[in-house]
Parts: sequence; C-alpha cells; structure tokens
Amino acid sequence: MTSLPVALLLAAGFLAPIAIVAIYSIMPARTFVLTGSVTPENYVAAFTEGYWRPLMWSVSGALLTTILCLLLAWPTAKALKSLEGYRATFVTILIALPIFISESVRLFGFSLFLMPAGGILAGTMDAAFDVSIGSILNTRTAALLGMVYVHFPFVLFPLLLGLSQIPEEQREAARDLGASNWQLMREIDAPLAAPGALIGALFCFVLALGANAEMRILGGQSVTVITHAIEQRFNYAQDWPMGAALTMLVIAITALLVLPVFRRIDIDRLIRR
Amino acid sequence: MVEASEPRPGILSTHGISKSFGELRAVDDVSIEIADGEFFTIVGPSGSGKSTLVRILAGLDRPDSGNILLRGEDITATPANARPTCMVFQSLALFTHRTVGENIEFSQKMKGVARDARREHALRMMEVVRLPREYYARPVTQCSGGEQQRVALARALASDPEILFFDEPLSAIDYRLRKILEVEMKDLHRRTGKTFIYITHSLEEAMVMSDRIAIMRSGTLIQTGTPHEIYRRPESRFVAEFMGEVNIFTVADGRLAELGIAAAQIEAPYLVVRPEYLRPAGNGDADFRFRAEVTNDYMLGSRTQFHLDAGGTSLVAELPALAAAGIAPGDVGEWGFDRADAVPLAD
Ligand SMILES: Nc1ncnc2c1ncn2[C@@H]1O[C@H](COP(=O)(O)OP(=O)(O)OP(=O)(O)O)[C@@H](O)[C@H]1O
Ligand SMILES: [Mg+2]
Repeated sequence: MTSLPVALLLAAGFLAPIAIVAIYSIMPARTFVLTGSVTPENYVAAFTEGYWRPLMWSVSGALLTTILCLLLAWPTAKALKSLEGYRATFVTILIALPIFISESVRLFGFSLFLMPAGGILAGTMDAAFDVSIGSILNTRTAALLGMVYVHFPFVLFPLLLGLSQIPEEQREAARDLGASNWQLMREIDAPLAAPGALIGALFCFVLALGANAEMRILGGQSVTVITHAIEQRFNYAQDWPMGAALTMLVIAITALLVLPVFRRIDIDRLIRR
Repeated sequence: MVEASEPRPGILSTHGISKSFGELRAVDDVSIEIADGEFFTIVGPSGSGKSTLVRILAGLDRPDSGNILLRGEDITATPANARPTCMVFQSLALFTHRTVGENIEFSQKMKGVARDARREHALRMMEVVRLPREYYARPVTQCSGGEQQRVALARALASDPEILFFDEPLSAIDYRLRKILEVEMKDLHRRTGKTFIYITHSLEEAMVMSDRIAIMRSGTLIQTGTPHEIYRRPESRFVAEFMGEVNIFTVADGRLAELGIAAAQIEAPYLVVRPEYLRPAGNGDADFRFRAEVTNDYMLGSRTQFHLDAGGTSLVAELPALAAAGIAPGDVGEWGFDRADAVPLAD
C-alpha cells in the first residue's frame, strides 16, 4: 500500500493539470471558464493559422540537437571511460557542474562570448591575432549551439552509464575473435550501450522540444519556437484555450515519440546489474 | 605423417616474459616451450599470476619484457585479433545480447563469411561440442551453466585457432558437472588435435587432462613436467604440498627429526612421503619404521585415510580397503615406508 501516496501525488501534480489543460483546449477561444460548450476550433486554428511553423522549428531543432549531442557524447563517453580514477572524476565534474548553474546565466555567458566586436571570442581574435571575425550571435546556428551546449550532459551521462556497464571481457572476447575497432563498436559497444543512449536521447529530445531560452538569448528570436508561441497565447494574447490546444499538441508529439522507445528498452535491466 | 615416437615440433615459446603491476611482479621471467597439439596446464594458487600470463600469451596484454614466438615467428607485438589463438574466459564472456548461433558465428562474421555458410559452420561446431541444434536460435542468457560452457567452447573452436587458451573455465561449475566437462575437454582436445593451454588452481583437474603441467608460484614456473613426474618427483615442498596431503620430514644429523629414526645416506634437508606409501610395518619389512597411534579414520570410497600420531607428529596414511580392514582409532603399532617411495627435497 506504499504506492498509494505516490499515486495520489502523481494524480494531483501531473494528471490533474494535464486534465485541466486538456479541457481548456476544447473551450471557445479567449474564454476563461472550463464549462463552455465543447469545440474543436482551437485545434483547427492550430493547423490553419500558421502554428505549424513554430512547431516544426521546435521539432526539427530538438531532433538536430539530439543527433548532435549523441554524435558528440559517444566519443566523449569513450574517452572518459578510458581515463583513470581521479582524472575521469575531474572531467566528469567539469561537465556536470554547469547543470547546477541557472540555464539563463549560462546562456548569457555564451552570448557574451559570441558577441560581435567587443565579445570575448571576436575581441580576443581581434586583439591577439588582429583578425576581425563576424558573429553568429542572433542566428539559428547560435541557438542550436546553445541547445547542444545545454542538453549535452543529459545525453552524456546516461550514455556513460550504458557504456560502463559493458563487461570488459565481452569486449576482449570480441577482439580475440578477430573484431576490428569498428566491428567492436558495431557489434558490442553500440548494441550494449543502446539503452543508455536511448534514455539520453529521450531526455534531450523532450527537454529540447520545450526549450525557449536558447532561441531568445542566442538566436535573437530569428525564428519562433513552439514554447514561445504557447507563452504568447497565455500571456499577451490572453487566449488560454489556444495555448492549451498547442500544449496538448506538444504533449501528443512527445508521447508519440517517447512511448515506443520506452516499450523497446528494459529499464529494469538498465538500472540493476 | 609424424611418427608417434618423434618429438612434436614446438608451436609456442616464450623467452623471459615479465609483467609488473606497480611494485608487484605478477609474471616474472617466464620461459616455456609448448609442443604442437599438446594439452599444457598451468597450475598455481590464487594470485600466482596465471591469468596475467595467459592474457599475455593470448595478446590481450603486453609483457613488460621478453618475447613470444609462434612457430618461430615473433608475435609479441601482435594484437589479439591478429593472432591465430583464442581464449575461453573464466566468465565465458558470452555476448549476452546475442543468440547461441550468433555467438558461435561471431569470428566468421568478422571475417565477412556469408550468412548461410556461417550458420552451417556454427551447427557443425555445435555438433562438435554436443549442443543440440535447437539451441541455435536461443538467447545465450537462457542457457544453463553447462550449456553456456559449450557455447563458449564452440565459439572459440569456430574461429579455428591454432592454440586455445582456457582461464579456469570450469571453476564456477558444480563438482559433478565439472567432472563430466573435464573428460569432455580432454576428449575434445584429442578429437580436434589443437594445442590447449589451460589454467586452473586445481591440481586434480590438471592431472586428469594434461599432457604436461607447469606449477606457478609468485609469477614464476617452479616445475614443469608430465602429471606423473610432478606427482612422483616434486622438486620442492611447495609442489609436494600443492599436490595434496603429504608427510614432510626434516632431515638433520642423519636422522628424520620428527620420528627420531636414522636416515642414513639421505643428503636432502627434507623427505616427502605420500599418504599411500605409509603402511603398517608390524612384520618389519619397511626401510623406515616407527611407532604410531591411529587417531582417526576416514572412508574415501575405495580407500581409507588414517590420521596417525607418531610421538607428537601428525601423519597421514591411506590404505586400500582390504589392507585397512581391522585398523581402528586407538590402535598402536609399527608403521613404515620404503626408501624408494620417499622423495628427497632441496627446499
Ligand atoms: N590489472 C591489474 N592491476 C594491478 N594488479 C593486478 C592486475 N591484474 C592482476 N594483478 C595482480 O597480479 C597478481 C596476479 O594476478 P592474476 O590474476 O594473474 O592471478 P591468478 O593466478 O590468475 O589468480 P586467480 O587464481 O585468483 O585467478 C595478483 O596479485 C593480482 O592482484
Ligand atoms: Mg586468474
């Protein structure tokens, strides 16, 4: 019966808000009651009034971020694994530490670094090498860079956990049986680390889908992401039902991607052993 | 065809290989010559460096110094995946995310052999190790300990290595099954004709299977020989004691110190007598005789073991059932052994 309080907490803190948002999403536009007549107009508007653009930016941004993070995390995790004792701890702490600093603070730091002329990167290049470089600040590239920077640890650590659980003797056996480095990665490392990589990718994707600050601070709002659009509906536009409908869409997309992945991996096996 | 009497050509030899972990010399100046097709076993207590040595031979680790020759060719710097050798690990190291068939086919897949040919080869290997065909598509995690053992063997054999290394592959298996697998291992060696280099800490296991045994102690091989030689002529107390329960006497001033009897013409400082060579000598026919009291008896199947007290010194004797009849704890009498059965030891 110990699960009862947990179930209650989940119901109150998770299901109830979603239920409220769900109901709002089928209320007439610009109303603030949950008892109006049911209507699909917000969902229709979501597809007809240009909201697909921010949605597409968010989904493609999140996908790209996830892929880039995975590509970066693999060699990093391999390198960390080969480091010994205190060195591995040191580098791990270096990578993990930023998680404890507010995301906005980090992103503003990044933006200082990227600023044109007086920025840290451009200024140093100018002063030290007498080279003038432009700046990517306020572009989509800068936003993507920020996304990768912020979400990287969420991919790295699950992947590192997955990799570290591969028994060294299985790798040695594979090598002994003639596997090259590439074959070792394809046949042993990748499949055995896959659950960790998938969990990391999920974290990254879900977080990146809801990300907003990167585009605001580094991307200079060069495009509008869905979170920003939702925020606008709730705040400036005072159109809660529309915001709720967009929120439900994001939740649906997330569930569509997350559930099949969860069905594929054996979480028990990942956390035990 | 090689004549049976002709000495077999060497396949693997090492020259002064050493490896240290910090201050510890895990393998210390080991030189061995192993003949083609030989079943060579390295026996030693835990921590004596057996695994370290065999990992070096298999190419999984590099020695600090010394070199390894395969048919006269230096392979010291050749990595494991380029050596025609294969190792069966103590943990078996089966690929847990793969089926029995995929495990066995692994080496062939690495070579780019086509799927059908691989499958055929794997099924043949399964036959060699007596695994039923139905196991082909089964996940290895669903196999019993003994079956996994066979999968590991088949996987190693499938790579068609010239030398197979085994690092205590049977130590995690219960006694009965181990006895069966020991016999199968020996049988497999005979049928495949490959060179087996086997590691165990059980001398009993080594005795059953090996053509030759090397005893390892603190990183060095202290004695190498046939099971018979090792058993009958241990060169040191360590080997003698490792061989099981023995009686060791100290020779001082021409006497066996423990028994207080004359030991003329024995130069060595120690004398070893196996339990089966101690016998009742009431009729005075043994070269060395002493009085002893039987303190305990234990049935060992076809033999009986007696614990003796010879004036304060504890001794062990083993007699066949017939000779043991009528001897009981509390009996006091003459016991003895012959000079030919006692092995002098230098240390
Ligand atoms: N990677 C390592 N780092 C440090 N010390 C090691 C390492 N591997 C082995 N040793 C040490 O070297 C010595 C020999 O180890 P090894 O594993 O070869 O012994 P072993 O004879 O195989 O023992 P066992 O029968 O217990 O398997 C031991 O004292 C061990 O602690
Ligand atoms: Mg060992």
